[in-house]
Amino acid sequence: MLSVKGLTANVDGKQILKGLDLEVGPGEMHAIMGPNGSGKSTFAHVLSGREGYEVTGGSVRFEGTDLLGLEPEQRAQKGIFLAFQYPVELPGVNNTYFLKAALNAVRKARGETELDAVSFMRLMKERLKILHLDDSLLKRAVNAGFSGGEKKRNEIFQMTLLEPKLAILDETDSGLDIDALRIVAEGVNALRSPERSMIVVTHYQRLLDYIVPDYVHVLAKGRIIRSGGKELARELEEKGYSWIAGEEAA
Amino acid sequence: MSGDLKTPGNLEGWLQGAGQPLPGSSVPWLAAQRAGALERLRADGIPDNKSEGWRYTSIRSLVDQPFSRYAEQVTGVEAADLEDLLVPDLDAYRVVLVNGRVVPALCNLDGLPAGVRAGSLREILEADPDAVEGRLTAIAGGGVHLFTALNTAGMDDGFVLLVPPGTVVEQPIELIHLSVGMDEPRVAQPRHLLVLEDGAQAVLIERYVSLGDSLYCTNSVLEISLGSDSVLKHDRIQQESFNAFHLTGLYLSQGRASRYESVNVALGAAWARTDLVVRFTDRAAECDLKGLYLAGDKQVTDFHLDVEHGVPGCASRESFKGVLYGKGRAVFDGRVFVAPDAQKTDAHLSNKNLVLSRNAEVDAKPQLEIHADDVKCSHGTTVGQIDADALFYLRTRGIRAPLARRMLCMGFAEEIIQAIGTDALQGYVSGLVGERLEKAPLE
Repeated sequence: MLSVKGLTANVDGKQILKGLDLEVGPGEMHAIMGPNGSGKSTFAHVLSGREGYEVTGGSVRFEGTDLLGLEPEQRAQKGIFLAFQYPVELPGVNNTYFLKAALNAVRKARGETELDAVSFMRLMKERLKILHLDDSLLKRAVNAGFSGGEKKRNEIFQMTLLEPKLAILDETDSGLDIDALRIVAEGVNALRSPERSMIVVTHYQRLLDYIVPDYVHVLAKGRIIRSGGKELARELEEKGYSWIAGEEAA
Repeated sequence: MSGDLKTPGNLEGWLQGAGQPLPGSSVPWLAAQRAGALERLRADGIPDNKSEGWRYTSIRSLVDQPFSRYAEQVTGVEAADLEDLLVPDLDAYRVVLVNGRVVPALCNLDGLPAGVRAGSLREILEADPDAVEGRLTAIAGGGVHLFTALNTAGMDDGFVLLVPPGTVVEQPIELIHLSVGMDEPRVAQPRHLLVLEDGAQAVLIERYVSLGDSLYCTNSVLEISLGSDSVLKHDRIQQESFNAFHLTGLYLSQGRASRYESVNVALGAAWARTDLVVRFTDRAAECDLKGLYLAGDKQVTDFHLDVEHGVPGCASRESFKGVLYGKGRAVFDGRVFVAPDAQKTDAHLSNKNLVLSRNAEVDAKPQLEIHADDVKCSHGTTVGQIDADALFYLRTRGIRAPLARRMLCMGFAEEIIQAIGTDALQGYVSGLVGERLEKAPLE
């Protein structure tokens, strides 16, 4: 589904990704872990097409298409979703209007018709429940004045609405207390299916107690230096990142 | 009236035309005011572009226009002609001026509470000038610039609303200025007077609209007096023709614990200038001025605020936002003055601009002059572009860049639009702004 080969990328002229390889098959859950500054978020943003992240080499193919040649909205329309580490506040932009515009754009790209108002509201209310979010959220401006936990839940809510093929969760656990973490994980798990793949970027193993990955990769200095099963995450938690980095150096 | 101004641009011509005589010519106090205003015009001449109030807006392009008074009252406009210009589902009393003159057949003031006087200035000056003496021309005084004097010299008609003490007018009153294009460039000089006595309340919606896109000028002056504990909500929507010139001078005098809230939306006109002048006469009064202006190619829009805290314990809020695109230009000149004994003043001034093209321009000049030491005052001005993070966020949700930009501009404007007090008008303005942004080239 997603094939990343030898990806190198610069931010502000500084090389952050230094030859990253990753293969993600349909229905797979991959966790990417790594210390701060290892390039985790850069990788997530490069996949979504963020301006200012300059790809200098390698390739990213998504279902056979060259992803790097596409605009951010085209990537979203193809089924890629990025849950932001820091969701952006959009004061004055009504949530319902925003969600409708997003859902219709994605549905149109999938060859589906626009939802009528009644079906749209029904769908939204149903998905809000999964994330334990109140209906009043629909009347508010997108993320404006939301608490940290609300913002993260709103990201996952949007994901459940847009039903992407590949979801990238960028540090979704950061800033969440244990109850919010459980709710977010429930939302993510509710979306797991044999067709839908996910990449979970995280610093800590904690999230992976709730969202159990098929594969765990360790990213350091812009490359994946170790891959394994879910037990790798626990091992990392016990021994710390220096354990692998040290081995690597040896 | 004769005698040319020494300076170019014959403004006195604006007072001339084959129309009916100006109202109130037999009312001594008003005749004296008119004569005084004309004298001042002649003595002061036309300010050049170095004078502070006109530094960023060319007065030349306005005074060089050969405007003259509308000759006859337009009688051909019928209710059906107005239909496309009305706000859907708005329940309001209605006063309609066509080319500056009240047209009784288009008005609906039935059912106003007992004691409320509402109607044409011309009629009141003919029938009962004492009712407006001491108020009309007294609130504005000499005015902040020559166009107020010009209006005093040439005021032709207008709307008068007198609300007695303790009376609440719940339903909004909609004041529509309709301009109908003529072969010659004409100027309308409406003069409005609103007096809310102690404890009175009213809601005024003031709109400027046109049939067609002709060249004309509206030079309107409003005088508003708010008694103790009175409340006026005032929403002003300027939708003049894109070839028109528009001037408003609004003079507000606020008594003890009175409250004034207004939202000023400027969408139309080639050249528009609005002066909002607020004076507090007693403690605990509050005014909240909000504004939104959009300017694209061939548009200049200019807001001047002049809020004087001359007495202690009053609060003022000014929050204006602008969206500039194409070759649009805007000026925001916000002055808040706090006198030495105006302690416990609470004044906050904010002006934010979204500049969407390289050729658009905004001159923002907030001025806080504080001469008291126990006050809470702040001001802030921003001039910026669409936030790149916000744009990226929307695009990652599948929303194409042009729509995403529009959504963000709309979001920027919504903060002001949502302050419009009447739901039907709020929805209408939201639609107007959305339409404008849809056509705007957002780079």
